[in-house]
Amino acid sequence: MTSKMTPETTPETTSRAMTPVAIIGSGQTNHAKERSDVSQPELVREAVDAALQDAEILPEDIDAVIFSNMELFEGRAFPELWVAEGAYGNGKPVFKVATGGTSGTSACIAGFHQAGSGIFDTVLVVGFEKHSEGHTQTGMALVDPFWDRSVASGALGNFALSISQYVSEYMAGRGVTEEHAAQVAVKARRNAANNPHAHLQMPDLTVDEVLASRMLAEPLHLLDMCPQSDGAAAIVVASRDTARKRGKAAAWVHGAATRHDQPYLGDLDRRLVTTRAQRSAAASAYAQAGITKPLRDLDVAEIYEPATYAELAWYEALGFCEDGQAGRLIDDGITQMDGELPVNPSGGVLSTNPVGASGVIRVVEASTQLLGRAERRQVDGARTALATGYGVYAWSDVIVLRSEMP
Amino acid sequence: MNSPTSEFVHTTIELDMSWRYASGDEMERFLNGIAQRLIEAIRCPQCGRRYLPPRPFCGRCRVRMTEWVPVADTGTLVAWTVVHLPIIDGRTGEPRPFPYGMGLIQLDGADTALNHYMATADPELLTIGARVQAVWRDELEGAMDDIMHFEVMP
Repeated sequence: MTSKMTPETTPETTSRAMTPVAIIGSGQTNHAKERSDVSQPELVREAVDAALQDAEILPEDIDAVIFSNMELFEGRAFPELWVAEGAYGNGKPVFKVATGGTSGTSACIAGFHQAGSGIFDTVLVVGFEKHSEGHTQTGMALVDPFWDRSVASGALGNFALSISQYVSEYMAGRGVTEEHAAQVAVKARRNAANNPHAHLQMPDLTVDEVLASRMLAEPLHLLDMCPQSDGAAAIVVASRDTARKRGKAAAWVHGAATRHDQPYLGDLDRRLVTTRAQRSAAASAYAQAGITKPLRDLDVAEIYEPATYAELAWYEALGFCEDGQAGRLIDDGITQMDGELPVNPSGGVLSTNPVGASGVIRVVEASTQLLGRAERRQVDGARTALATGYGVYAWSDVIVLRSEMP
Repeated sequence: MNSPTSEFVHTTIELDMSWRYASGDEMERFLNGIAQRLIEAIRCPQCGRRYLPPRPFCGRCRVRMTEWVPVADTGTLVAWTVVHLPIIDGRTGEPRPFPYGMGLIQLDGADTALNHYMATADPELLTIGARVQAVWRDELEGAMDDIMHFEVMP
């Protein structure tokens, strides 16, 4: 910012490495524009049963349930009330996390903390959203009633504003071009074609088609943006002892951090460029996990990219490259399936976005990669995986998983 | 389980709703100023950052703010876009006619930026760094939309 007296620093939270916990099973629904074949509880049950089956445990083995969901997007008050039986929650501790796009990853982190606390041995984390039955745009419109309610309605305009600053830096040696962004769109939708759960699967999409798609808000084309999907995802988190006693493969949590930042879009100078919250979360999670060179140390990443440009900004924030090098990273194919660090083999949020579930899906995908069960989207020999969450423009989560116990 | 051919019953509900919000002291003073074409920011005693919208606490320094400073109705465009979709206006519930320009404007005398409409929807006329000026409504009501939009200064 302009004033000399205003340092661009966030008050730091010191985080200790937590007691080790593991993801012992995961599952997700098939995601689609409209899952009118199921009710909300049935949608949840579908993901939960898949996760329990994957973990080879029974409903009575679950000690607590954490939901991730954004309720206005569902069209029902406290959706977790209606769907908790879908997650076998009756008579058990049931909690909910709702922080926009980070809801899912934050719910997973809450599950890690609970299983690591010694209070619960086995925790089920469930994210779900049924946008087709709710009013997502109305929910997004309920911002500050005095300040920017007319202007800030919907995520799109605010994304576009942040992105205009990122793009504008290209001439100054930073930032990215429309073509860089379009390559991210192509990578996501082509990868999604290998993921039977994904909503948008476009195996033949080209950069030209992305650039020719309808302009939504300069410089964002239709195919630069995530869809709205119906879907659910779940993970089963176990304490160290419980996970060890099973004697089965698991995805171990080596680092997890969540950060919140100032609320108004204009509070931070060049928010998408500075990405203060995500850099801070990454620094903490990497330190916990002993990651010093992310591009080398990580084998696969599932990151929360609601727009193509966001993925490029996250490359820099997550330390995959130096600041200003995100365009080169996508140009050089580093983040493609056959690159040094495949990013979003699942197709990512750009291909599937049931908001409350999207963060959980990142963790499901990351842990599935570590267990070698990702089928056609499997990254061979993946042993260290990253999952991230991004909420509105104020929350960031970073999680590092490994196939080995810490 | 339902057979693939079964038809589900869907129910449609229409609902008009209204809300009433309390402003808090800081926003009340700010809006009273707006009603007189006066923009004021609140300043952090520790980092000196001048905040719009005004609020009780500096999130960075975690201290209470009480000092007010005047802000001009001119500023610099620090981000822009042109929206080509019918997005709901959260104050009226109606979609806004499109295309329309949007900007993040750093008003002279403030350290944070304000998101607002731009008078033009022509991308050729919008550049980061452009000087812009507020266009006020004739009759002021003490609300943010007393500023209709910002125009690029010649």
